[in-house]
Amino acid sequence: MKVRYFALLRDATGKREEVWTRPAPDVRTLMHDLVARYDEPFAKWVMVGDALAPFVAVLLDGKDVRDRGGLDCSLDGVAEVDIFPPLAGG
Amino acid sequence: MNGWMGKILRVDLGSGKISTERLDPQLARDYLGARGLGTKIMWDEVDPNVDPLSPANKLIFAPGPFSGTFAPSSGRYDVVTKGPLTGTIAASNSGGSFGAELKFAGWDVVILEGKAAKPSYLWICDDAVELRDASHLWGKDVPTTTEMLYGETSEDAKVACIGPAGEKLVLFASVMNEMQRAAGRTGVGAVMGSKNLKAIAVRGTQGVDVADKDAFVAACGEASRKIKEHPVGGTGLRLYGTDVLVNILNSVGGLPTNNFQTGHFPTADKVGGESLAAKQLQRPRGCFACIISCGRGTKVTNPKYKGEGEGPEYETAWGFGPDCGIDDLDAVTKANYWCNELGLDTISMGGTVACAVEMFSKGIITLKDTEGLDLSPGNAEAMVEAVRLTGVGEGFGKKLALGSWRLASIYGHPELSMTAKKQEMPAYEPRAVQGIGLNYATNNRGGCHVRGYTISPEVLGVPVKFDKDATEGKPELVALFQNLTAAIDSSGACLFTTFGIGADDYAAMLSALTGVAYSGDDFIKCGERVWNLERLWNNRAGFTAADDALPPRMTEEPMPTGPSKGSVSRVKEMMPKYYAVRGWDDAGRPTEEKLAELELA
Repeated sequence: MKVRYFALLRDATGKREEVWTRPAPDVRTLMHDLVARYDEPFAKWVMVGDALAPFVAVLLDGKDVRDRGGLDCSLDGVAEVDIFPPLAGG
Repeated sequence: MNGWMGKILRVDLGSGKISTERLDPQLARDYLGARGLGTKIMWDEVDPNVDPLSPANKLIFAPGPFSGTFAPSSGRYDVVTKGPLTGTIAASNSGGSFGAELKFAGWDVVILEGKAAKPSYLWICDDAVELRDASHLWGKDVPTTTEMLYGETSEDAKVACIGPAGEKLVLFASVMNEMQRAAGRTGVGAVMGSKNLKAIAVRGTQGVDVADKDAFVAACGEASRKIKEHPVGGTGLRLYGTDVLVNILNSVGGLPTNNFQTGHFPTADKVGGESLAAKQLQRPRGCFACIISCGRGTKVTNPKYKGEGEGPEYETAWGFGPDCGIDDLDAVTKANYWCNELGLDTISMGGTVACAVEMFSKGIITLKDTEGLDLSPGNAEAMVEAVRLTGVGEGFGKKLALGSWRLASIYGHPELSMTAKKQEMPAYEPRAVQGIGLNYATNNRGGCHVRGYTISPEVLGVPVKFDKDATEGKPELVALFQNLTAAIDSSGACLFTTFGIGADDYAAMLSALTGVAYSGDDFIKCGERVWNLERLWNNRAGFTAADDALPPRMTEEPMPTGPSKGSVSRVKEMMPKYYAVRGWDDAGRPTEEKLAELELA
């Protein structure tokens, strides 16, 4: 499973993407593991305690977890996880 | 008056007569300024069936009550006219400092009528207004024109002008101010060119009166705090600009690619905001009183595309990038620079080139038609040259200058023009995002994202997340966003302040500034009034429910690839509910009850 980072999260992780090999049954597990790996510069943008931070987008093969179960979404069969900090434009 | 300056400047370009009129306080209260007030004047004074490029059309420049004050990020103005690209009412919004300077000079509205006998420019220095010869400026690009006018008027002047594109009546020519800011859409620059008006230079020494200074300071302070504390308005836009949207739209399969043939571009990251920040960004740039600074000061050192300026924004990077099958950021930025220098709308320019590229790839047009320009998909050099030719009116550029709908129609394939009401749709795929498609179809100026930016809730999740694929609730959402945006456009505030504040905040600032009591609902009602007046104008110009539509590709051809594979736009399904939400009849006409409610009857 590939995890891809965008905008501020590239600075926070030092990466554009990585292949994630640790067991990750659901988004919650993955996010907590990422926070543990990348600590505060990453965590401050994406998690507030055990919840996704406001306006953070986590896409599983292009599908936003906020529309279908949030952090409880299963990662079974997911090929790409895209994580975006709060973004704007127009 | 407080907030408003109380004066309208009227210039008859044909006779040279210059006159001052009083701004009706009731009109100011009901329509605020900028887009709203300009539309009201067009409604009262101009036949909607006028030829947009004839002397009978009028051209209006108008800031809003916030412009020129220290309301956060509130220096904007509108150029209002009948748009030659669409035939609809056109109000094109721009930032920079020009709007604020008009207020400092003492004016709420500048109305330009008729046509000058020879190229001219208007010099406004407080109450002293002159129409001057611009023969020596005609043919000059935007930066050269601006610099020359600083020398002839004042080094502190603010200049709004057209480039060669407006002079040559390119149907999507823009009006540029401070060289890099654009009143971009719908061809307002062509109207200015049709009047032989090259520029307006303005210098003002006055200030904007405030009704309740303490309350205004407090309200502006609170609004500024909210914007700065918002993770989006406070940080993200300054670091990456709007181009940061490339990757999230691509990830959801909503990045229109190769003229909306699909919604995913494998190398999109190369033209996204992250790449822009790493490779070209010199500094963020902001407009008058801006606390966000989304603007990008950029530089391209690649000798093939060398240049310096501002941009690209998201829609620009998309239009010259993925929509044309191109991932060369240097080429994209060069095309953006050409648009700024020659005075072209980047969205319609990109969309028109993309249409030409598709027709070229299908053999509908050939090298003979393009006069040797190889418009193969992905040919970045040809794309940049196509933009330059359009701006200077040479070669195939003369046909590109018509916009994609007329271009594609010439060759018998209007269905390949990705437009609504003949204006090119911006950088969000209607098949992947249902609400934005409804906004495009119902928009009073056609393919426009910004006046009903439901991308914010549908993709970004701001202020709350809506499922982008759902149709439930979208008519209500689209109508609300359209109304609120119309009010903000009429106030002089920047739309990016919505990443932080809402209708109640605008109302608090407006009430303290003007001394007129507005609630949040009153503020939105002003916007609804403006929206309905635009609709009435368009109805009189001959637009009907049949024009509230998207290209058949969006509604009949399922997305072929990517994360939104299989989706179509269900705009037809949402339309009856949208009309009902709007208080319109089944034919999309505002009812008598709605008009009475909005005091438009």
